[in-house]
Order: sequence, then C-alpha cells, then structure tokens
Amino acid sequence: MGDVVELRPRAREDFTSVIGMMIALGAWAMMFGALFFMYAGMRSHALMWPPPGVPRLPIGLPALNTAVLLASSGAFSLGLRSLRKGERRALSAWLAAAAALGTTFLALQVVVWRDVWASGLQPSTGAYGSVFYGLTALHAVHVAAGILVILLVLVRSLLGKYTEHNVMPVRLPGMFWHFVDAVWVLMFVSLYLL
Amino acid sequence: MEQHIHPEPKAFIWKYVFSIDHKVIAKQFLWTGLMFLALGGTLAMMIRWQWAYPKTAVPVVGALFLSHTGGAITPPTYTSIFTMHGLIMIFWAITPILIGAFGNFCIPLMIGARDMAFPKLNMYSYWMFFASSVLVILSFTSQLGAASAGWTTYPPLSTNVGAPGWGQTYMALAIFATGVSTIMGGINYIVTVIRYRAPGMTWFRLPLTIWGMWLTAILNVLFVPVLGSAALLLSLDRLAGTHFFVAGAAVGIQGGDPMLFQHLFWIFGHPEVYILILPVWGIVGDILSFFSRKPAFWYKGSVFAMIAVTVLSAVVYGHHMYQTGMAPLLGLGFEMLTLAISVPAVVLFVNWLNTIWKGSLRLEVPMLFALGMVFVFGAGGLTGLLLGTISTDIYLHDTMYVVGHFHLTMAAASFLGSFSALYFWFPKMYGKQMDQNLGKVHFWGSVVFITLVFGGQLVAGYSGQHRRLFEPYQYTYIRHLAPLNRWTSFAAFALGATQLIFVVNFIKSILMGKKAEQNPWHVSTLEWTHCASPPIYHNFDIVPTVVRGAHEYADPAVKKKFGRDYLDQVEPGLSAVDEDSSAGMPEPEAIGAE
Repeated sequence: MGDVVELRPRAREDFTSVIGMMIALGAWAMMFGALFFMYAGMRSHALMWPPPGVPRLPIGLPALNTAVLLASSGAFSLGLRSLRKGERRALSAWLAAAAALGTTFLALQVVVWRDVWASGLQPSTGAYGSVFYGLTALHAVHVAAGILVILLVLVRSLLGKYTEHNVMPVRLPGMFWHFVDAVWVLMFVSLYLL
Repeated sequence: MEQHIHPEPKAFIWKYVFSIDHKVIAKQFLWTGLMFLALGGTLAMMIRWQWAYPKTAVPVVGALFLSHTGGAITPPTYTSIFTMHGLIMIFWAITPILIGAFGNFCIPLMIGARDMAFPKLNMYSYWMFFASSVLVILSFTSQLGAASAGWTTYPPLSTNVGAPGWGQTYMALAIFATGVSTIMGGINYIVTVIRYRAPGMTWFRLPLTIWGMWLTAILNVLFVPVLGSAALLLSLDRLAGTHFFVAGAAVGIQGGDPMLFQHLFWIFGHPEVYILILPVWGIVGDILSFFSRKPAFWYKGSVFAMIAVTVLSAVVYGHHMYQTGMAPLLGLGFEMLTLAISVPAVVLFVNWLNTIWKGSLRLEVPMLFALGMVFVFGAGGLTGLLLGTISTDIYLHDTMYVVGHFHLTMAAASFLGSFSALYFWFPKMYGKQMDQNLGKVHFWGSVVFITLVFGGQLVAGYSGQHRRLFEPYQYTYIRHLAPLNRWTSFAAFALGATQLIFVVNFIKSILMGKKAEQNPWHVSTLEWTHCASPPIYHNFDIVPTVVRGAHEYADPAVKKKFGRDYLDQVEPGLSAVDEDSSAGMPEPEAIGAE
C-alpha cells in the first residue's frame, strides 16, 4: 500500500469520536427528556397551568436571550467553518464571540431569575416555581460548562493547536454546544410560550 | 480499525492508580465491587438477624457499630440497613463487578482490540465511581443516620420530611455520581464494540458475552440518565427547597407529585434489572457451551432473544406500579408486555438446556456456577409470572414473595453469574489458578443456601408476610412464621459464611496460586488463544484476523486432524489444512506500527 497516500489519516478515529459524542448526547437527551416528561406529567395533572395566583413569566427578555444563545451557536459554527478553510485567526475570533454570547445569555438569565423572584415566584412556590427554576437552572449549569469548554478551546486555538486537518477537538465541543442550544429552544417554548 | 499502541506507563501512579489500561480498571472495579459486596452482605445478615431474633443484640457487628443500643437494631437503624443493603448491592456491588470489571476486561480482549475506544474516559468512569463510593460511606457517617427511604427512594419518604439529615442527600448525590460513571462506561462499551472489532469479527461471530455486555451498555446509556434526572430533582427538593415531589397543604399553591418520581424511577428501574442480567445471560451462554464442549445451541436465536428483551425492557416498567391506582387499561397493556418478555427469556433458557444436552460436561467451577445460575434464574423467572399478572400481584405485592422473586432473578442469578465469570477469567486476569476444590465448596454452599434463603422468603411471602416490617411478629397472623424466618436466617448466615471460603481462595490464589497456562480451559475465544495470562499491556502484538464464531466445538474431523475438540476463532479450518498448510491462512494485519 506504499503508493497510496492517506489524505485524511485521522478520518477513522474522528468517526469513532463522533459516534461517541452522539451516544453521549443521546444519554444527555434522555436526561433532559426525563425532565420534560416530569414537566408534562405535572401539567397534565394540573387543573390550571399556570396555577391561579402565581405571577406571569416575562416573555420579552427570554425571547431576546434565546436569540443570544442561537447567535452563540451560529458563531461557533462559523468558527468551525473558518478552521476547515484553514483560517485559524478567524476561528479564535468566532470562539471568543461564542463565549461572549454564552456569557451574555447567563447574565440575562440571572436578570430574568431576579425579576421573576421579585415578582413573587420562587422555587418553593409549588410545582410551577419548582419547574421554572429547576429546568432553567439545570440548563444554565450546562451553559456554564459549555462556556468553560469554549474558553479552553479558545486558549488552545490561540496557542495554534488546531489545523484544518485536526478539527475534531473543535467539532466535538461544538456538538455539545448546539445540543445545549436546542434544549434551550424546547425549554423556552414549553416554559414561556405554551 | 487501526489501533494505536499506547506506550506502557512506568510510574506506579499511572500504572496502577490512574491507569488507562482496561485490564487495570477492570481490577479496580472488581476490588471495589467485592468490598461493597461484603458490606452489603453484612447488612443483609443484620436484616436477617432482626427477623430471626428481633430486638436482641447483634453479635460482633452490634458490639462494634451499635453500642449505643447495646448492640440491638432500632427501627430507624433497621430502615437505614435495608435501604443501604439494596442500594449498595445494586449500584456498588453487582454493577461494578459484572459490568465494570468483566465488561472492561472482556470486551477489548474478546473482540480483539488493544484497549477501549476512549481509554481516558474509562479511567474517569472508575474515579467517578470511586467518588460516588465515598458519598456512600459519608452517608453512613451522617448524624441522623444513613439513607432510609428504601432502595427505591420514593418521596415523600425520601424528602426532608420523611428522611431528614444528610444521609439521604448523600445517597441521592451518590446515585447521580455512579450514574454518570455508568454512562461513561456505557458510551465506551458501545463504541468499542462498534468500531474496534478485529478484522473478520463480524457481529455474529461475537461471543455471547459481548452481546450481553453491549446490550447492557445500550440500556445503561438510555435509562441511567432518567434515574440521574430523578436523583437531581430529588436533590433539588432536599437542598434548594423546590417542590417537585412534595404535595399537600404545606406547599400552598399547587404542589408537586410524588408519583412522578415513581414513574421516573421505574422507567430506569425496569431496564436496570435487565442491565444486571443481560451480561450474565451472555456469559452463561458462552460458558455452558465451552464446558459442554458443544456449540452454543441456536446462537442467533440467543442473540435475537437478548435483543428482544432489551427492547421490551423499555416498555414494561408499569408492572412495578400496578398498585398505584393506574388506569386498568394501562395496567392490562403493561401486563401483556411483561408476560411477552417471558417468550425471549424462554428461548434463551431452552437454548441453554439444549447446549448442555448430551454435551461432554466438564463440571469445573465456572460451569457449576453457570448451571447454578440457570437453576436459580429458572426458579426466579417462574415465580415472576405471578407478579407480572395483575390479579395475582394484587395479593403478592409488598409481601416477602416479591423479595424472594427479585433476589432469585436479580441477586442470586447475577451473583452466581458474576462468580462464574470470576472463576472463569481469574487465570487470565491474574495469571494464576484458583483452588478448584475450595471453589467447588464455595459453589455448593452458595447455591444450596441461596435456594433456601430466597425459597424461604417466597414461602413467607405467600403466607402473607409483609416485606418491610421491622418486627413482623407484632402481627398475630405472622407470628406462626417465626420458625420459618429463623431457619431462613440460618441459611442466610451459612450463605454469608460460605463467602469466606471465596475470600480465602481469592487472596490465596493471587498471592501464591499455581501459575496459569495461556488457555487452561481449552476454549476458543481470542483472550485465551491469542493473549498471554495475564495479557501484555496492549493485549495483542498483532491483531488477529477472525475467521469463525466463538463456539466451534465437537467436530470429529477436527479432533482427528488436530487432536483436540475445538477450533479457535483465528486458525484456518479443516479445508485449508487439507489443501496446503498456508493457503487458507489469512495474512495477519500488521497494525499499530506507526
């Protein structure tokens, strides 16, 4: 096989990593799926949802925040695309943007929590408060973890660790980040809109 | 699949502590699991003591740990003991031994891989498990006692109201942590089997052990996260003041729903019982064939039966909740699905019987344990029919009958299957032989006393003894069962004492056992035919090319040519030898020389 030049020497290993990540995300999806199952169970048993007497959730700020997180996901994708084309500096810039947008999301989420708390809805306000704070908090933990991972990737990107032949260490965190984003869209729709 | 050779670490800490070698991680899981098996077993002995001699001082253990009551078990201590017994046995004893140890050890070796797909993830998996073990120990030391809401951890018992203090909180967090560990392992197992099979190791040439482990890994990855979710929500209820599972007047505005926890728990909980038995089915399927010197009967049937059980296990969880007031129609659906599982289970069972039928049985210790597993699993399976059927379950639910049933299937069958695996792979793990005579004594003691203990529980339950009573004999209708319970307890103590024989044998064999040959059982799978005992760091210098399945036994023509009764998975078959000594030999793929 001496004459055959392997163009993508890591292709098979990369595929293995992608399968592993997809299975991991499947497990994560089951975890969030169980949360939504619990939420659906609560709602289906409730006579009224939201229960009478609880304050209304805001819509404007969370909607804006959804856009922020989607933008963060988009920035990450563009970063990965830049790396594939070999534009390493663009990758760093997009990663910084993704991390900044993710942090903005968390900051706005804190504002939303503060407003809602002040309006009288607290974790101990029955099932409704529990669901609102529980689901958003568990999601926020994933966002925080995602930001840390992106910052780590950013540092390694600035150190020049990635090339267009070695995109997997960027692509895998990206899969996680998009997943966290997708979960948020479901949460936004089911918590605030429905 | 091309596979790297990692350089072998030299420093002690990287070689034995934070090792990425699947064989070392397997041993770490094995030792931790065996320690917890001893702990969980001791707790079981204490439960049995309470039922034999209620409110009297427990010998030895009582003097050591219960001195404040003069050695006797109090009701709160009792609830903690049976809660911790159940949780420890399931999550910290059987799971690490069966899946952590033998999954890790067997998967790469049996499929011809040099290590797991993600060796570092494998290491994290063990240390996450270790962290969860620390939480378990912390639970025992907490001031208001260890967790006490039963292994199912149902609210409202498991909320701050029913179980105050850190004991229950630590256990909720420990369940989450061990769940994360299990999922990490599961991802590794699934990907390794998909991507790292040796050339020629097609899906239907995999040993049954690998099928069992792989299907278990899939169930783990799918359903342990659901348990993780439940544990998280419960922790939030306990720590952050939420009301997911707290209902009633105290909550004010529309409270949560404790029933939801039961749903989440059993969505995980039913697959869990198959998580603990599928690897055993696989192992026993292989070992029965190896030691009957016959091919595994209807190999594909066994594989498809295991797949069918895996699929069905996801849709039967409602049978744990017949008594919770679910809609009768829903109950009927769950009943039909539950009873449908007995079809693939019987396929497996008949395949095992047909495998040993007219075989040249070699009653070595692993084979004895495998046969014992077939026996107790058969008994457990038959008693399960009465629980899967709603009309009989109404009477038997919450009696000792349930305890006897699930101990026969989950505990006894997994226990005997684990020991079958342990005696079988011990020479490969440690390069030493275990004492076969002590092993036989261990087997007979175990299987006889297991049958008596759990059989006794079945009888007590059928007579109406409730299963969670601290002092059953306060009820006159149970009082006449006292002698039965006492004899059952004697059998349990004997079962516990029998395990000491294993401890002696295990330690003695590791320290000064006879050196094991490469293939002491004369079997056909890769880890025996192509690896030293114990295997080298990267398992295979040259990854072998597989040409046949794992159960090539009892061909008279092979016996005539080779002077032995089996063909391994790699060597050329009869026709190749007839034509030319090298023509049929597949060129071994030189791999990892990068």
